[in-house]
Amino acid sequence: MQQYSDTFLDNASAALADKDKADVRDAMALFTPLVRNAAMDQFQHFEELRQHVKQVRQHSLDNLGHYLESYEQQAVKNGNQVHFANTGDELNSIVLDICQQHSARRIAKGKSMITEETGLNAFLERANLDVMETDLGEYIIQEAGETPSHIVGPALHKSAAEIRQLFLDRHDLGERELETTEDLVSEAREVLREHFLNAQVGIIGANALIAENGYSMLVTNEGNGDLCANLPPVLIICTSVDRILPRAEDATAMLRLLVRSATGQAQTCYTSFYSGPRREQDIDGPMETHIVLLDNRRSDILASDYREMLQCIRCGACLNHCPIFASVGGHAYGWVYPGPMGSVLTPLLTSLEQSQALPNACTSCGRCAEVCPADIPLPDLLRDLRHAEIEEKIAAPRWRQGLRIHAWLARQPRLYQLFTGMGIALLHLLGRKRGSFSKLPLASGWTSQRDFPSPQGRTFMQQYKAERKHRE
Amino acid sequence: MESEALHTTAPGEGPAVYLFVTCLADLLRPSVAFNSIKLLEDAGCRVTVPLQQTCCGQPAYNTGDYEAIIPLARQVVAMLEPADYVVLPSGSCAGMICHHYPTLLQDEWHERALRVAAKTFEITTFLSDIVKAKRPGRTPIPLPAVTYHDSCAGLRELGIKEQPRQLLREFCDTQVSELQQSEVCCGFGGTFCAKMPEISGKMVQDKLHNAAATGAGILAGGDLGCLLNIAGRARREGVAIEVRHITELLCGDLDGPAIGEGE
Amino acid sequence: MSDSARASIFARIRHSGSGASAAEIAAAREALGRAPAANLPGSDLCSSFLANVLLNRGTVDVVGNRSEAVTAVGKYIYQHYRTHRLVAGNDPRLAAMPWRDAGVLPRFGELEAGETVALSYARLGVAEIGAVVTFTGKANPAANNLLPENHIVVVDVADLVPDMEMAWSRIAHAMTTEQRPRGINFIAGPSSTGDIEGKLVYGAHGPRHWHVILLGEVPQAALGEAQAIAAPAATTGELD
Repeated sequence: MQQYSDTFLDNASAALADKDKADVRDAMALFTPLVRNAAMDQFQHFEELRQHVKQVRQHSLDNLGHYLESYEQQAVKNGNQVHFANTGDELNSIVLDICQQHSARRIAKGKSMITEETGLNAFLERANLDVMETDLGEYIIQEAGETPSHIVGPALHKSAAEIRQLFLDRHDLGERELETTEDLVSEAREVLREHFLNAQVGIIGANALIAENGYSMLVTNEGNGDLCANLPPVLIICTSVDRILPRAEDATAMLRLLVRSATGQAQTCYTSFYSGPRREQDIDGPMETHIVLLDNRRSDILASDYREMLQCIRCGACLNHCPIFASVGGHAYGWVYPGPMGSVLTPLLTSLEQSQALPNACTSCGRCAEVCPADIPLPDLLRDLRHAEIEEKIAAPRWRQGLRIHAWLARQPRLYQLFTGMGIALLHLLGRKRGSFSKLPLASGWTSQRDFPSPQGRTFMQQYKAERKHRE
Repeated sequence: MESEALHTTAPGEGPAVYLFVTCLADLLRPSVAFNSIKLLEDAGCRVTVPLQQTCCGQPAYNTGDYEAIIPLARQVVAMLEPADYVVLPSGSCAGMICHHYPTLLQDEWHERALRVAAKTFEITTFLSDIVKAKRPGRTPIPLPAVTYHDSCAGLRELGIKEQPRQLLREFCDTQVSELQQSEVCCGFGGTFCAKMPEISGKMVQDKLHNAAATGAGILAGGDLGCLLNIAGRARREGVAIEVRHITELLCGDLDGPAIGEGE
Repeated sequence: MSDSARASIFARIRHSGSGASAAEIAAAREALGRAPAANLPGSDLCSSFLANVLLNRGTVDVVGNRSEAVTAVGKYIYQHYRTHRLVAGNDPRLAAMPWRDAGVLPRFGELEAGETVALSYARLGVAEIGAVVTFTGKANPAANNLLPENHIVVVDVADLVPDMEMAWSRIAHAMTTEQRPRGINFIAGPSSTGDIEGKLVYGAHGPRHWHVILLGEVPQAALGEAQAIAAPAATTGELD
């Protein structure tokens, strides 16, 4: 996907100025935490499950070479063709090759964040293939010519009214009302059914890969992923090397957290496990199945201090609970992954320099870490990225120098108290009557949005020391 | 050296507490520090104010400048080591000492930081959970309706939620009028509010409007950073709500101007 | 291309790996134990399963024997479509049911265009998530799960398990005598989507209606208890 993270502040500004979109975001920011919390309260074992799943994930990542090899062996035994791709470009080429080998023209696609990362759709379309997204949210943004704003609900930035207008414009189905959300879903079902039945290739992602038996897990509410996985004669699963879990039960344990965290449901409607192509005893299913395992820097992250980020299960809870995400929406982040997890992943998967604003779009409020089912210390990782920006001299020097001076001064108590004493006394004098400053030199960032309360009087240290002297 | 660096007030029988006033209280609102001393002494503590205190180093730390803060962190740890207890009128500064100093410092300093962390408390936690402070006077302190902002660091790093509410009931016979989204960030975030002012502006606007919607006369909180942010926005928008630190309410120190108010 | 990529990927991954032996790794995984499951909402397996199916927007029937089962199927398809016909997979258990007793005419095979009701016999029912489990194959073509308007699923009481871990245990056991199924499907509701404004709406690509028939010795009070547990969802027609 084309990246525009380098204009984050401008993107954010535009998003904040769009009142209708802001209302949609405000509504989602109220709603999504409610359903997640209700689901977790009902479940009652969140912390225990979170710790268990974290241990399993860390164990898997610690032994990824072993589990990846097991998975590959089992997957090949099941009849799959397993491919490896270092980069997004390699994955795209592998997929195109397979499609061209089969002279495929029509592709039915389930939701896959990996393919967003690699820009697969655009790549295939340039080769004149017709790619149809079948996940409703992905379908909506495809029709609207937009990119996903959220990793779980790609079209959540759109109101039902907007989607209604989109369908009326794009579907040639004559006069109809499309009054309710149910009507919209019905219409999508009708329009998309044909694509499943006529596609030559199905492309899906995987929520987990199981080392012990070579199965891949796919979860959807709609069933579209299963339609892509069962009907077309060729199936391609695009996934990443870090998705591997040791046992089938590890995948379903992780699901207990994933679904509740993502949508507030206890489980998805369809949870499917696919082993590979059809064999003699099968009457349906793809004749040929391919699994494309993408690295794209995951192995680098595995070797780094940001390794915990690989525990992410893509639930979107951190997005839903982040006040910055709520304020500016997913598109402002400028790439595939927004919100707190995106602010860690985007620098790691693309470049810190290009996405330098993202780790700074954070107040360390900690709400993300509180709800993260993978127990990833997101605020710490974001701060570490800010540290990396300083080390790599990406951070704006003005801020760094000012704060360094402050930090040095704070170690010289007498000097500190002398300077602050003078400065505060002056500010107090200037500000005492009104109580606050609407403008203040060196504080334009602050004062552009709020007044700066004036100091109450002399500093505490001045007053306290004076009082003491007076008493002696 | 001792008499220069420290000062202990009102010797009593109770716990010996070092008060770290925090830079924001020191520079912008000393009454928070004086009220803290009063509250601790009323609860029977012997309060010492180390005179070389300046700042816990959060501002630079949060921008990721670990190297700049490590020497300061060592200095603060060394300064606070002799205490039985360390108390701060700020959840974020207490969190800095309790959680982030031990992460920042290595080896011997890591151990020393852990020991200081173990005896460091934010003030409402100290009063409510440790010394179980009781109202000093016979009658409760009268207050208009109060709403409360739960600052993020205090809430999530230190579990501060019930303690200020308990103290308001105990000291002032007041039940907090809870504001919507009380646990959502106000947009201060240290340097964030200056680096990303528009986003911060939206966040503080939401917080202010939620506070005003309760109809309460006072918005209280435990962290001056948040309170300065919200009060500044209230002044900018002309919203008439008094923004005060929890220590001011618990001492009935309500005559002086609220944060951002003129004389 | 893929081979050299494979080599370099494995090299990088192994470089930051633990270097433990396969036996050590297996022991380490074993030591982590199993995950906590969700609590069951009812007082027994049947009532819990039925309650969760109802909460998943399924409809249910409880029957004591095969004869009652075919009657229930007949009633359902007549009620919805005024028909006695439906398609069912080539499952020997389905073939052996006394269809003529209820006047039902199943066609055994794969759903075709224009057919709106399909019947499956599940391998398992999972009480924790209110799901039925089917394997792909002759006995249950994928089209029968995914393409009808109404999907009816029969599940035996003896095939109910409390949670997903037990489901996997049963599946692993089945795989000692059968080949690995191409697809294992846990179905927990009619198809739905939350992609528009985050609110769950039913009738996306898969079936719009999902009917589960629990067959066997079901405690008498189970259905009533399940209905009481699921009552808020049932009466308002909306999940809270």
